[in-house]
Amino acid sequence: MKIMIDEREVMAYPGEAILEVCRRENIFIPTLCYHPAFKGQGACRMCMVEIIDSRGQRKLVASCTYPVSDGLKVITSSEKIRKIRKTLAMLIAGRAQASPFAQKMAGEYEVKPFFFKGFENEKCILCRLCVNACEEMGSAVLAAVSRGVDKRIETPYAEGAEECIGCKACAEICPTGAIEVKEENGQRIIWHKTFDLIKCESCGREFATPEQIRFIEDKTGRKIEKFLCEGCRKRQTAEVIKEFSV
Amino acid sequence: MVKVADEAKMLADIREILDNYPPEERYILAVMQDMQKRFNYLPKAGLRMLAFYVGVPLSRVYAMASFYKAFSLTPKGQYVFRVCDGTACHIKGSETLIEQLYKCLGIRPGETTPDGRFSIETVNCLGACALAPVVVVNDRVYAKVMPGDVEKIIREYGGYAHEGKNED
Amino acid sequence: MKEKMKIESSVNKIMVCCGTGCTANGARQVLAAFMDRLKDNPDFAVVPVLKATGCNGWCEKGPIVKIMPQDISYCHVKAEDVDEIIEKTLLKGELVKRLLYRDPVKKEFVTSIHQTDFYRKQHKIALRNIGEIDPGSIDDYIERGGYKALEKVLKEMTPDEVIEEILKSGLRGRGGGGFPTGLKWQACKNTPRFPKYIICNGDEGDPGAFMDRSIMEGDPHTIIEGMLICAYVLNAEKGFIYVRDEYDLAVKYLGQAILDARERGFLGENILGSNLCFDIELVRGGGAFVCGEETALIKSIEGYPGEPHDKYVFPTEKGLWGQPTVINNVETWANIPVIILHGAEKFASLGTEGSPGTKVFSLVGKVVNTGLVEVPMGITLREIIYEIGGGVPEGRQFKAVQTGGPSGGCIPASHLDLKVDFDTLTREGSMMGSGGIIVMDDTTCMVEVARYYTNFLAGESCGKCTPCREGIRALVEILTRICKGEGELSDLQLLRDISEVMQEASLCALGRTAPNPVLSTLRFFEDEYIAHIVDKRCPAGVCPALTTFYIDPELCTGCTLCKRNCPVDAIKGEAKKKHEIIEDKCIRCGECYRRCRFKAVKVR
Repeated sequence: MKIMIDEREVMAYPGEAILEVCRRENIFIPTLCYHPAFKGQGACRMCMVEIIDSRGQRKLVASCTYPVSDGLKVITSSEKIRKIRKTLAMLIAGRAQASPFAQKMAGEYEVKPFFFKGFENEKCILCRLCVNACEEMGSAVLAAVSRGVDKRIETPYAEGAEECIGCKACAEICPTGAIEVKEENGQRIIWHKTFDLIKCESCGREFATPEQIRFIEDKTGRKIEKFLCEGCRKRQTAEVIKEFSV
Repeated sequence: MVKVADEAKMLADIREILDNYPPEERYILAVMQDMQKRFNYLPKAGLRMLAFYVGVPLSRVYAMASFYKAFSLTPKGQYVFRVCDGTACHIKGSETLIEQLYKCLGIRPGETTPDGRFSIETVNCLGACALAPVVVVNDRVYAKVMPGDVEKIIREYGGYAHEGKNED
Repeated sequence: MKEKMKIESSVNKIMVCCGTGCTANGARQVLAAFMDRLKDNPDFAVVPVLKATGCNGWCEKGPIVKIMPQDISYCHVKAEDVDEIIEKTLLKGELVKRLLYRDPVKKEFVTSIHQTDFYRKQHKIALRNIGEIDPGSIDDYIERGGYKALEKVLKEMTPDEVIEEILKSGLRGRGGGGFPTGLKWQACKNTPRFPKYIICNGDEGDPGAFMDRSIMEGDPHTIIEGMLICAYVLNAEKGFIYVRDEYDLAVKYLGQAILDARERGFLGENILGSNLCFDIELVRGGGAFVCGEETALIKSIEGYPGEPHDKYVFPTEKGLWGQPTVINNVETWANIPVIILHGAEKFASLGTEGSPGTKVFSLVGKVVNTGLVEVPMGITLREIIYEIGGGVPEGRQFKAVQTGGPSGGCIPASHLDLKVDFDTLTREGSMMGSGGIIVMDDTTCMVEVARYYTNFLAGESCGKCTPCREGIRALVEILTRICKGEGELSDLQLLRDISEVMQEASLCALGRTAPNPVLSTLRFFEDEYIAHIVDKRCPAGVCPALTTFYIDPELCTGCTLCKRNCPVDAIKGEAKKKHEIIEDKCIRCGECYRRCRFKAVKVR
């Protein structure tokens, strides 16, 4: 099907969200809680756009969750949209006071953060990408707990979770560096739990936890013979492909 | 300290509650309601067993337990003072009642006295607006409560005197 | 009026109101006393029937005991009064005058509550059976025409005809959204996927509202019948009633009603010999205001935290477990059987063109007759508050009326002639919502009211989307500092800017309407905000940091009322002598200010 984005006609597929089409077409829409690996969450609301419906009425929608339909008209920037993004930047920077990312964003939108009391050390913006990552790649030990203004990301009872494999997929996806990971003396401390680290058999870099290896083995049903970090594994695969192509 | 026998009894109780429901996600809420009623809170073991029983991560069950107001993750007091802070009660002075309770019991809403006898909670609306302000202690409803009544009500349950000092 | 009034025909029904209000005032003890005295009582040739009914609505006068068929109503009945009622009224046919309602204007005793101003202006559809039947008895419901509408649709109407009838009635969702019910059903019927689900939203959570509670507690079968009619239309097999677990009586009676309906063949397979198979499950909510939002409620039934998601695809297409689903609120369901049985025209003849029918309101706050009222839509706020509600008590002055709960707004005296319907109130920045009407007098601080509602939502928002969560956090912080006297004039613009973005960008209706209390008070009571910010004064005497009370010696009569009610003994003075407030001890709770009958307690 065809849809119009900012007066430009583009192709879209049924089931896609506006944002997905925009990403493919290189049309910029700011996001905080979106990652192409997951479904749109509609949580951060930075990606609000205006649409013009069949009756010609303008409506504000979250582009990460609004499904495309044939002939849909989308406006990605307007006075209203700018005001929303500015205000959200002001609030997010006011919350995540210890996050350089959030402060920089407020600067880019030229707003003065509304500094909330008691958030001096906060970095988290509650985008929940870590929760998604933990669910998809880890063992689903993270959740957005409590509700309202007390919402926060936690492991159950704020203690080390039995099921946590220390893969730090959560920390890697976090846009604001809000998840603390300590790596020293061959150990990794994350989410109230300490893990041993395994060294890469090729380059010697510490790269994974035994729990993580076991988790992958269980999931794939195949024993990992040689512990290689991502870089070395890629190099090895490249070698194999080279051999085949000769 | 929880005695071994108590713990065995608790596990048996949890088992009994779970057995009333099929192992499906949609019964998580109902199981939690039953556990809350039985134990006055959601024990850790209960949440673990529930998660295992319906086959979802503990984090999901914990998120639910912390989301819904009916549940408590720590044991509540023997007598729970629920002060209605619905609009009708609010404009008729429920906040003063909360202050009075604090003066008498030394605890704020959401807290329990160290001896585990009293807890205070605020509830949004008990739907008894015509009787505002309302305080409910366990199942008993006190209507049109005045600040001066608070101490009397506490005494009915063998409670404290002034300034959070234990009378007995 | 004669001292004795003869009562004609023999007594056959004693109805004790056991709604929440009356129960809290001791109705159960009254019921028990009757039961005790009537049991094996040799004085009666025919022992009267004793019934515990749902809420009569006039909670202010409870416990209420009605005696039928003579239609005598006794107010504020205590267990100690039971002997006298039996002796005089039931056996001798005399009235117990001291228990009758006395009209405060005409100073006359009124035999039946149905003859009072409180009831006369009302028109009961959704509440038609409440107070008249024992909610635990399916026979009572059937006796009053219950399940006749179901029979009618099964025998005489096609599903499309039912939808046509509901569309013609113009019924709109009573939960607050006001979406036309017929269109909702039609959309769901037109979605060609099965199974379809039907949900009754009984997660009433507005602080200051108890309409749905009364219906669930007082007439549970009407909800079941409404859902059954929808089930016939959609060919649905499963329904859910989601009810707040705190409403224990509602849970009890609904559970009982479902069992009884199954036993009588109104639920289950081949209902009344037709092809309709439908059953209902009761789901006890976990206590979350946001679950009143459809998508959150669905999540909750599925076994997740009640976080809403974008509703770009309606539940009628993709609802519970991704299946087509109709969700209506309790009061909406209660209207369905009446529309079917008495026809759409009759229903639509009540109310206004855009909002036909009646609406149940809970009338509370600073009003004489607190309670539950059902009135035709289009009635003015003035009629509700003054003619039915009896105005503001204790000679205080009316200041504002709050409608629509935390999503609604405050309306000032100048707007009291507004018609109450879905569209008018929304235009004025409030909303009818699910039907809470809270009257506020001059001892209510409007800035504090805005802070109260916003703070309520701070704990009740699901916390998922940024504008709602962080926006509310900001509003609370600003309002709190204004109440403390630390606000600045620039705060007012900031409140407006943040509110606007919340209205436009929030994920669900909770967030989009959350700023309404702030915006409506800013619109109508900006002077109070300015008094807090510039003059550092709370004109209503509510905000402790900005309030000092004193007793005007000219007006004080030394009645000691204030002194007796002061929780901290901060008032000195002997009886019949001038009283004085000890400022160091005063906690500024305002108890003396609100209580003084001579307006001698003043706010500085």
